[in-house]
Amino acid sequence: MTRLSMGWKRATAVALASVSLFSVAAASASAGEISVWVWDKAFNGDTMREAGAIYTAAHPETTFNVDDTASQDDIRAKLQTQLLAGSTEGLPDIVLIQDDIAQKYLQSFPGAFEPLSDSIDMSVFAPYKVAAATHDGKSYSVPFDSGVTGLFYRSDYLEEAGFKAADLENITWDRLVEIGTEVKAKTGKQLLDLDLNDTGVIRMMMQSAGDWYFNADGSLHITDNAALKKALETYAKFYQADLVKPVSGWAEYTGAFTGGEVAVVPVGVWITATIKANADQSGKWGVAPIPRLDMEGSVNASNQGGSSWFLLSSSDNKEEAIDFFKTVWAGDKDFYQDILIKRGAVGSLLSAREGDAYKASDEFFGGAPVWQNFSTWLGQIPSVDYGTFTAEVDSAVQAQLPTIIQGGDIDAALQAINDQATQQMQ
Amino acid sequence: MAQARLARREHITGWAFIAPALILLGLFMIYPIVWSLWMSFQVGKGMNLSFGGFANIVRLTKDPVFLRALGNTFTFFIFQVPIMIVLALLFAVALNDATLKFRGFFRTAIFLPCATSLIAYSTVFKSMFAIDGVVNQTLMALHIIGGPISWLGDPFWAKVLIIMAITWRWTGYNMIFYLAALQNIDRSIYEAARIDGVPAWARFWYITIPMLKPVILFTTVISTIGTLQLFDEVANLTAGTGGPSDSTLTLSLYIYNLTFKFMPSFGYSATVSWVIVVLVGILSFLQFLVARDRKPS
Amino acid sequence: MTLALVRRGIVYLLLSIAAFVSIFPFYWMVVGASNTSADIIRGKTSLGSALLTNATAFFTQVDAVRIFWNSGVIAVVATVLTLAISSLAGYGFEMFRSRVRERIFGFLLLLLSVPFAAMMVPLFVMFSQAKLVNTFAAVILPTVASIFIIFYFRQTTKAFPTELRDAAKIDGLKEWQIFLFVYLPVMRSTYAAATIIVFMANWNNYLWPLVVLQTAENKTITLILSGLTAAYTPDYGLILFGTVLATLPTILIFFLLQRRFVEGMLGAVK
Repeated sequence: MTRLSMGWKRATAVALASVSLFSVAAASASAGEISVWVWDKAFNGDTMREAGAIYTAAHPETTFNVDDTASQDDIRAKLQTQLLAGSTEGLPDIVLIQDDIAQKYLQSFPGAFEPLSDSIDMSVFAPYKVAAATHDGKSYSVPFDSGVTGLFYRSDYLEEAGFKAADLENITWDRLVEIGTEVKAKTGKQLLDLDLNDTGVIRMMMQSAGDWYFNADGSLHITDNAALKKALETYAKFYQADLVKPVSGWAEYTGAFTGGEVAVVPVGVWITATIKANADQSGKWGVAPIPRLDMEGSVNASNQGGSSWFLLSSSDNKEEAIDFFKTVWAGDKDFYQDILIKRGAVGSLLSAREGDAYKASDEFFGGAPVWQNFSTWLGQIPSVDYGTFTAEVDSAVQAQLPTIIQGGDIDAALQAINDQATQQMQ
Repeated sequence: MAQARLARREHITGWAFIAPALILLGLFMIYPIVWSLWMSFQVGKGMNLSFGGFANIVRLTKDPVFLRALGNTFTFFIFQVPIMIVLALLFAVALNDATLKFRGFFRTAIFLPCATSLIAYSTVFKSMFAIDGVVNQTLMALHIIGGPISWLGDPFWAKVLIIMAITWRWTGYNMIFYLAALQNIDRSIYEAARIDGVPAWARFWYITIPMLKPVILFTTVISTIGTLQLFDEVANLTAGTGGPSDSTLTLSLYIYNLTFKFMPSFGYSATVSWVIVVLVGILSFLQFLVARDRKPS
Repeated sequence: MTLALVRRGIVYLLLSIAAFVSIFPFYWMVVGASNTSADIIRGKTSLGSALLTNATAFFTQVDAVRIFWNSGVIAVVATVLTLAISSLAGYGFEMFRSRVRERIFGFLLLLLSVPFAAMMVPLFVMFSQAKLVNTFAAVILPTVASIFIIFYFRQTTKAFPTELRDAAKIDGLKEWQIFLFVYLPVMRSTYAAATIIVFMANWNNYLWPLVVLQTAENKTITLILSGLTAAYTPDYGLILFGTVLATLPTILIFFLLQRRFVEGMLGAVK
């Protein structure tokens, strides 16, 4: 009995002692320290750290605290909870947001983000990036990485099937299906890996025709969207020709092409680091322009992902942050050369493309001037308005994919997508 | 007189025991819940909210995604909870046998899944059930299936996979409650029954089950709630989409999407939350009715 | 006799299958911690030689001492408080029955089913007004009065022999003394099970800590691991090394407490 009550007392003592630990410093950033939320240490985390270091070298009183410990989904959840709660206490000064959801934040939370176009010249950045974060005539972001797409391919597999790099230049998706069929016959490899829970490829096809899910007034553009229809038809063709390795989730998706199981990967340029991480495959890869849809208006350039920096209105360090954006992100061309070489980050500052790093060739990709190519394609990406309901329509599209790949009627699927999205958008 | 005073004191002591919990619950649960109830009458996006009366409830009845999520949630509930409860009970009874060898090993092994981190387990499940994963290879080698099953790419098999995953993760968890409860049963009852020649199945059915009834009820209610709130497994195995084609989308995942992924419509997501509350209320009431408390007082 | 042997054989067979199925992902996790990321993605299931590399990478990228300290403090304090407050309430609800309290209890059970996502925004507003955002208190406080654990204690209290309480009363013990010196020792197996459950829940708690803990130095291991998996090129070797470390405390507690499930409790007291 006594032993037990002793144990109890000890437990209480421990509990009380710990209470003192409760008062760990609150989040409010100390003056002169700019806090930033990013989601990938090696890519946007280290890039932002480097940008911060450049600025701190010239302005020692301003330091940076880059937090890369949360995933992108987590950052969205944190940001949204606090904006909904109307509480700014735990928010950082700068947050990285993916372009296709920027409008959702700008329109749902008016006043939460600081307009930047008054103080920073936006014409120095790729126009489609600026457009994604422009609302009511003001731009709210400093563009970071471009999601310019390319068709990464295994040159060794294609060669085995008798194809040269030139055979992949400026082709249509339909032609890619033909090539894929031959490659499979010769090498036994599937053409590409696809995840039914991801609409990335469909969206890049659609954007290559300058189209998206919405009309200019924000209303749904689905049933009469020729580009979307064509994209879904193409998607179905991959499956009907049995050229797909089905995967689920990021690990399997990347595992399929880093493991040499598929011949091509149509994807945003930010995948470069993941592909190059497998040094033993050096020289076995190439990058071609992304195929276009077999329809008028579609070009061999598109976008997937890509993100930009947003400044929270609640920040105590707005002036420093804007000055930082101006001097480093909107002005320092050398910085952009550096992050391209070190991190494979293709920035959106147009003048940076003239730099040396962009002209270099890459032995991993058979000595091709890949960065020069990407920046050429970057200039050709059709601008689209991502609207505010992309996530809703995406999930409506996903709902139809299993039917579509089994040869279901595309028009019926478009109607179903339209109906579900209408319901979700109220 | 003295009797009344005693009853009064009993009464006060009763409140004293539950007071700390009630105060905390009032602050950290009831207050937010009332808030969300009020929110469920609001319509609009983000911060632009206005009173909408029953508009959200009307929206529910027309929302195909909600109806799909409701259907999926029920499917998971109906198939998964009974399988898991029965398995957990059988394991617990088997492991409670003092003559069984390696009990500690089996107990720990069966408990392991719920201690293993969600990240590790969803990654390994995905790789095991990949199209060329070890499960398909084994089934094909045994000629049980002709070609590989696309576990996460097929709406039917994805549901099956989720049911297997939850059962795998939570059976050992429920087993703990049964193991602990079995210790509260007086061994002499079994001895007496054995001497009287009562067979093992009858001892299980007429002694173990009735004695465990409060805990069985407890785990059933908890598992019902857990299944209706199912989120972790689905979110991790399907990259947060509930796919393919919403075939594994649960109400909780839908609420999460409405709050965090889509244009935030907080009022509507609060309404969906209340659907879960009403469902659990009905189901728990039925479960209590079935296992009516017959404690001799 | 042979029938009994066959039956025993079947029990062993089924338990072995269950144990194998249960252990495999855990085994895979441990093996993964010793392999490179590329090997893990390729599905290698044998021990590799990258354990040291993974460990070094983990300890350079993660401030492990600090992060585990955070997780530990949160989980231990929350467990102690939850067990204290919730077992009191469970005892109270079962031993002192009244119509009002029964109603309250039924109402609480209903609240148990409110999804957390629905309460998160209002809760955040509360903690932000109380200036408690980014403190451990904000993580712990909402979990302490657990309806789940109250319900558990109430259900197991039904098996608590009332004669013991009556006898103690005759001996002149006050109610709080009965709780501390009679009920608590008798219900050790219940407390042991609850400790495991509550510790695990707090150790793995995700959504709420994610939202209230803002700075990197206050985060828990669960949050850090989740962030690592979301990288563009996740290093699975490093991540699995981290998950092995993160799983150890729960398993350790289970090992320490599991014998509580084996000993007969009531028999020892009577």
